[in-house]
Amino acid sequence: MSALAHMLEERGTPTTVIALARNQAEKTRPPRALFVPFQLGRPLGTPEDAAFQRRVLLAALGLLERADGPVILDDYAEEDPNWQDTQGWQPPLPAAAAKPATAAEWQQAFAAELAALRPAWVAAQARYGRSIVGLAGQPPEGWAGFIAGFLAGGLPTVPQHATPALALRFLCDDIKAMYGEAAQAHGPAPSSRQVDAWFWRQTVAGALLVALRTLAMGSENNALKTVGGRFFVPVPWLPAA
Amino acid sequence: MARPQDIPEPTRTAVLNIECPVFEATPFVAGKPLSQRKVAIVSSAALVQRGEPPFPFGSTEVRLLPAGVPANALLMSHVSINFDRHGFARDANTAYPLERLHALAAEGMIGSVAETHYTVMGSSDPVGMAAAADQVSGQLKQENVDAVLLTPV
Repeated sequence: MSALAHMLEERGTPTTVIALARNQAEKTRPPRALFVPFQLGRPLGTPEDAAFQRRVLLAALGLLERADGPVILDDYAEEDPNWQDTQGWQPPLPAAAAKPATAAEWQQAFAAELAALRPAWVAAQARYGRSIVGLAGQPPEGWAGFIAGFLAGGLPTVPQHATPALALRFLCDDIKAMYGEAAQAHGPAPSSRQVDAWFWRQTVAGALLVALRTLAMGSENNALKTVGGRFFVPVPWLPAA
Repeated sequence: MARPQDIPEPTRTAVLNIECPVFEATPFVAGKPLSQRKVAIVSSAALVQRGEPPFPFGSTEVRLLPAGVPANALLMSHVSINFDRHGFARDANTAYPLERLHALAAEGMIGSVAETHYTVMGSSDPVGMAAAADQVSGQLKQENVDAVLLTPV
């Protein structure tokens, strides 16, 4: 964003950047930047805390009134309280017991888990008034069967995506999004670490995405090999070798 | 972070060692008091309206987000899987603070909110974004916008 700030300011409009990576702002030296000590993906810090977000926003916009640039690079001191784990948070489902082996077993176990998760997912949508599930272009009822097609050696796709690799990639995104929403349906919100640890270590879906990654990396379809290796499972959550 | 010690590897090394564009000089355009400025957002989250195609990998395009599109209608199609999306799932303002900007305008802290906002794929090479910058700049001038807030993910 710092480079784009350069380009827009060169074209005549004043800019201010919220920077999540201080070293990058230091290298690119945009006209004005506010470094915030929040996790990647949360430039405004704490979700659902309008007062907190307002303070961040005003700090970033306030740089526009300063005359001591370029370059202005300020540090925002306030921490995101949601960075800490939430004591007493309970995941929406108990740890999965199933260890599927065949495509049919995976399909059955994943479909059953999706059905069990659905009430929490519906509750999350009611609570937050939103959902970020939708990139895959297919309803959850079709997810388990679609994935079983890959596990059985096929390359299924959907009209919304140009290749099977992209169809599966965005379905992986939707699965992670649905579980993440369901995990935040009730009570005090968990930290992102808690959500991810539950998803990757305790759910059929998490194990399924790891299995899909393994399958994709052994595929003769180069697009699936590349996309599966890089975009299904974050490296910190890969099983130990 | 995005303090380095808070980022798991290998994302930490990637963030710390990423090649960044270096500019010989930095422009600096002065402006009116904040309370008189019209503000637009540029988000790097590759936001799309539900039903729209996701941003392609490596895309250097910019997409326009009319201010009338509620943030709750937006999905995040950024290519990276190495940043948090659970916060955005609860509250779009966590990454795209449109409602917060409107609140500041209602308070009189800023002059107004632009009619159009913008989104790009933040992981793409910014060197290829000159055409996108031209497009954004033209729209900003057409709407008399005099401040841009750039938000990363």
